[in-house]
Amino acid sequence: MAGPMNASPSAPAPGFDLEELYRSHHGWIRQWLQRKLGNAHDAAELAQDVFVRLLSKPRVFNDHEHARAYLGRMSRNACVDFWRRRRVEQAYLEVLATQPEQLAPSLEHQAVILETLEQLQAMFERMPQRVAEAFSMAQLQGMKQREIAEQLGVSERSVNSYLAQAMYQCLLLEAELDGSLA
Amino acid sequence: MSRAPLDHGVLQAAAGWFARLHAAQNDAAIQAQWHAWLNEDARHRLAWSYVENINQRFGGLGGQAEQARQVFDSVRRDRHSRRAVLGSLCVAGVAGVLGWGGWQRGWVDSPRAWFATYRTGLGEVRPVTLADGSQLWLNGGTALDVQFDEGSRQLRLYRGEILIESGKDPRPLSVVTRAGRVQPLGTRFSVRDQGLQTTLSVFAGAVQATCSGSGRQTTLQAGQMMVFDAQQVGAPSTAQRLREDWSRGVLVAEDMPLAQMIGILRDYRLGHLGIDPAIGSLRAVGTFPLLDTDRALAMLERALPIRVVRTLPWWVSIEAV
Repeated sequence: MAGPMNASPSAPAPGFDLEELYRSHHGWIRQWLQRKLGNAHDAAELAQDVFVRLLSKPRVFNDHEHARAYLGRMSRNACVDFWRRRRVEQAYLEVLATQPEQLAPSLEHQAVILETLEQLQAMFERMPQRVAEAFSMAQLQGMKQREIAEQLGVSERSVNSYLAQAMYQCLLLEAELDGSLA
Repeated sequence: MSRAPLDHGVLQAAAGWFARLHAAQNDAAIQAQWHAWLNEDARHRLAWSYVENINQRFGGLGGQAEQARQVFDSVRRDRHSRRAVLGSLCVAGVAGVLGWGGWQRGWVDSPRAWFATYRTGLGEVRPVTLADGSQLWLNGGTALDVQFDEGSRQLRLYRGEILIESGKDPRPLSVVTRAGRVQPLGTRFSVRDQGLQTTLSVFAGAVQATCSGSGRQTTLQAGQMMVFDAQQVGAPSTAQRLREDWSRGVLVAEDMPLAQMIGILRDYRLGHLGIDPAIGSLRAVGTFPLLDTDRALAMLERALPIRVVRTLPWWVSIEAV
């Protein structure tokens, strides 16, 4: 028998009603987020965000308990994303402040970059530090494996394996988001 | 369409190919083996499409790779020291006040921008004809809502840039940004949202701008441009053709420094596009395709003593010959 977690996201089955889910769960999610964040405005935005995510990837729930568990997990993830976003945004602001204004990208480009930085930071957080460092040197600084090996003081063979590991972590995340993992 | 699900082995194989290709970028034999692997199975191709997604994400950083590295370093340093502190709700409250004003600074999208009726991606220019006959062009990275009712025509620009040729309609037309409101008097003009500031350029007719905060007003004539924010208006200067030419998908360079030109092209492509500062002051002349930046680079390469070096598909740098 297919478990609830295997519910296919592409086939909205009977029993899925976003409006009802919203009515039953939005209230406690917002309160929970407000306790976590200590701020009603952010909590309201994030609670909204949880339902936007649900809308973009509908799921079938067996009952309200099941929905509650799932939405609770989504809310926790939203919280983690929120703090990451805050940290990355702050760090990017600081970096931009140190460079001459004429070198700064246009504001719309900055928004795109910030979003990318958040996604990449989320990936880096899943990797061991060495692996993340090697991956960042290869992808951001365009360094060759020999150069990375010298800098990290490891063999080229290790660097090759670090890069494969790093990419594997990224691919896992990508496949999970795409719902294509067996 | 149903797809064969991927297993971890296929993802591991794709990651392995990524590392191998990275190590031997010009090795034809390895590339042939990799092609053979791709051709073997649709699941291999699906897994590889994820590798490309990841690479494109890095490419999306444009010329900001060094800044990105600094951001990641700083976040990594902070993570451990901050984690303990952030547990406390009191501190979280303070951070809430400091941080989430991102949208006001123009860098984080308003949720309304995600759902705006008209949106364009990076490097995409789209013409739109509105119900009243007004012709609109959306520059890359634009989010816009259109609200027409009995008494008014309102365009809400959340981010990006639009060029307008207003149609004949008795209802007043206005464009609203964070900085304020502009109202044309039968005309052609562009509005570029830059967060707290808005740039208004007028190419025909006249346009009135009103600051959202102070209510201060200025009217610009054809051939003029001006930057304003919620409180103040800047001094009018000569309108730049650049702010109009993008709607035709071209960049017209008249003795433009190469560094400036590359800076503009960067906004129209994914990937790193670097330039050796030593050749930044070379001058470019001509009409270049904005939406096909590879062709624009090839044209530059023919006209100037430079060469375009493609280390990886998403990593391009311009060097002296």
